[in-house]
Amino acid sequence: MDIFGSFALILALIAAVYAVGVGIAAIRTRNPLLTKSARNAGMAVFVLVSMSVVSLEYLFFTNNFSMAYVAEHSNRDLPFFYKFAALWAGQEGSLLFWSWLLSIYAFLALFLNRRKHPELMPYVGVVLATVQTFFLVLNNFVATPFQILGQASAGGALTVVAQADGHGLNPLLQYPEMVIHPPMLYLGYTGFTVPFAFAMAALLGRYPGEKWIHITRRWTMVAWTFQSVGVLLGAHWAYAVLGWGGYWAWDPVENASFLPWITATAFLHSVMMQEKRGMMKVWNVWLVFVTFMLCILGTLLTRSGVVSSVHAFAQSSIGTWFTCFLVFILIACVLAFWKNRDYLRSDNQLDSLVSRESSFLFNNLVLLAGCFAVLWGTLFPVISEWVEGTKISVGAPFFNKVTIPIALFLLFLTGVGPLLAWRKTSYDSLKRNFAWPMAGGIAAGVIALVFGLRYIYPLVCLIMSVFVTLTIAAEFWRGARVISARSGTNIFASTGQLVMRNTRRYGGYIVHFAIVVIFIGIAGQAFNRDVQQEMAVGSRMTIGPYTIVCQNFDEVKNPNYDSERATLEILRDGKSLMMLYPERRFFLASQVTETMVAIQSTPLRDLYVVYAGRSPETNRPVIHAYLNPLVKCIWFGGLILVLGTALALIPSRQPVIVLRGATEALSATGGPLPQSVGVAHGDD
Amino acid sequence: MAMIESIAGAQSGRTRLKRSVVLSTLVLSLLVVPLAVAQQSDRAKALSMRMMCVCGCHQILGVCNHVGCTYSHDMLKEIDARVGRSESDDLIVQNFVQEYGAAVILLPAAKGFYLWIWLMPIVAVIGGIVVVRFALVHWRRKAAEVSLSRVSADLIARARREMGPDE
Repeated sequence: MDIFGSFALILALIAAVYAVGVGIAAIRTRNPLLTKSARNAGMAVFVLVSMSVVSLEYLFFTNNFSMAYVAEHSNRDLPFFYKFAALWAGQEGSLLFWSWLLSIYAFLALFLNRRKHPELMPYVGVVLATVQTFFLVLNNFVATPFQILGQASAGGALTVVAQADGHGLNPLLQYPEMVIHPPMLYLGYTGFTVPFAFAMAALLGRYPGEKWIHITRRWTMVAWTFQSVGVLLGAHWAYAVLGWGGYWAWDPVENASFLPWITATAFLHSVMMQEKRGMMKVWNVWLVFVTFMLCILGTLLTRSGVVSSVHAFAQSSIGTWFTCFLVFILIACVLAFWKNRDYLRSDNQLDSLVSRESSFLFNNLVLLAGCFAVLWGTLFPVISEWVEGTKISVGAPFFNKVTIPIALFLLFLTGVGPLLAWRKTSYDSLKRNFAWPMAGGIAAGVIALVFGLRYIYPLVCLIMSVFVTLTIAAEFWRGARVISARSGTNIFASTGQLVMRNTRRYGGYIVHFAIVVIFIGIAGQAFNRDVQQEMAVGSRMTIGPYTIVCQNFDEVKNPNYDSERATLEILRDGKSLMMLYPERRFFLASQVTETMVAIQSTPLRDLYVVYAGRSPETNRPVIHAYLNPLVKCIWFGGLILVLGTALALIPSRQPVIVLRGATEALSATGGPLPQSVGVAHGDD
Repeated sequence: MAMIESIAGAQSGRTRLKRSVVLSTLVLSLLVVPLAVAQQSDRAKALSMRMMCVCGCHQILGVCNHVGCTYSHDMLKEIDARVGRSESDDLIVQNFVQEYGAAVILLPAAKGFYLWIWLMPIVAVIGGIVVVRFALVHWRRKAAEVSLSRVSADLIARARREMGPDE
């Protein structure tokens, strides 16, 4: 099976190289047969890489410990779904997984557009196949997952050596979310290749019209959603597994996943300028390019060992390859842009400084400033080592000091942007739209002050959150009221109609609301508390409204690990709420100890309990309890974000045509409209 | 008898005084000792929040309970010991830098080359504002040119004709 997988990988590389070569020939000769052949080769890469992935999984499930990768990342007693997840546990497998996801995207992009955009798709195929070629070269020659454990005999012959059992999966990865989090993040990273391919194709082929930007936007939204989910699941994994009571440590690898998300968010906003007004074309193309380059940079940081991180589980000298590829992409982007820059000229000009266009400009400026600050803080230790010869640390205080004001200003813009009209906004309209939401925000701030909230950032966050929520609610209310008045339906049905008429706009508002909810969750961090105490059976510890009573300490045996477990009873107002079982697991195969945190989660606060091990002095168990307010908002916000994005991806319904004052909707295809008929257009 | 009583009373009074002195000393010492310990551990905690764990977990030393970490426990103990010996904060940090390298400090002091870590984001924001302003001015100027060029001489003449002669 290893030979089969390895052979499939080589064939995949040949197919990708063929797709690049024949694709370029097809572009030059405009020969439809060559175009079709290149496309088929591009799609065949998916089939071949899939075969390779299936064979590696087969080797995991059959415990073939003669394979180096299987022996390194699995063991006989590893549970079923972790054997599946072991595919991306190490450098070689995760790169194969990357190639596989990329081949899925490439297959979908080529297959779904096989009869569309004949001028654009050959370029798209070539760009996708070029990126695939790079990763398949790595899979075949630099980090192959199909290496056999062998021993050379005296005569030089190689004998296959199978280990009795493997070293097991990294215990940090033995958590249910780790089965979902990396695929989500990789789907985000790899997904940004498709918008990159379309943007590059449109630029190289000087594709007329704005169709390419619509396609690019949709693919970006898909990748952005996966990236958002991946980042949030990663934060939740860090929260639930690492056991330090937080979810975001500004670790270089966390930052690496956050950077393309920021630039993609900027693109999803500025793309509207191009779609509606034919403006910011250069900016948009570069945002797509930069997003893709940041994905590659993120991979470089994760895998090269350039920066130290608890996440960088797969370090090697592969960084040189990624650096070369990054330089190659940068040169390709600069050349493509320079040669075709006249193609990106704006169709329209800015009419007023107080307009939706300006708000998008500022939104992009703030997002990019945030992105730069995070990138700078992440890379500064490396720069310092080059310049000063000293490796330093840039920890969370830097990122918090720089990004919190930026994030709060961005939150403010989230509320302001939708209130401004395209082209020009009058003072009256500004006053009318801003007055109540701003008054609501300030009122919330005053109430919070009265109730003793004295931290500046959470206070500003609260004011902004209420302001943004009210602006979003007002948008829904105004639109639904108009529909209700025209069609006679109740306000809820009208809201449903409103949303379905312009899914993109209202889906976007729901995503904005999700961001508000996430911000509230993050603001809760200012009120975190923690207590650490040595405990014996019967002893108590108090944190906030909770009393933790130690009921028992025991040991649990499992084929995969041995565990020391505390049984803690949680009391509130003297009444028993529940039992928590924080653990400390010793994984037998890898000989590594890890924590399993116990969390009692409510919408208002999390009681987060860690069994921190035994005190070296007294040998008594140490319990570390944290009280983290509003953390649940972050995960709940993530859920709303996914729903909002999914809604925005659904095509809008045609405008409903209604008789003014009538209660029944008419068909849109009914000839010329009489005076009494109004058309309700969905528009941003 | 009365004398005996008074002597006994005086003795018992002295004993009571002694007792109360001993008791108040005990209570005071009980109050003072935990306070001293609390102050010591608070200082150690504050110091540990200024440093990074060097095991590669990229966590602040004070919150690193990364199980299996071979550094954080010893580092925290060392801080406790140095604080116990009444070493100054600067001296403790300096010793840690010598022992574990400059990467042990959470953030380098903002001077010399390290000032750039704070300056660059500000420079970037200012640069961004300049770019946005340039874009806005450029667009506004072009918009004005376009709106002027759209009103051709023919159009003005036609408008005058249709408006009729000036009164």
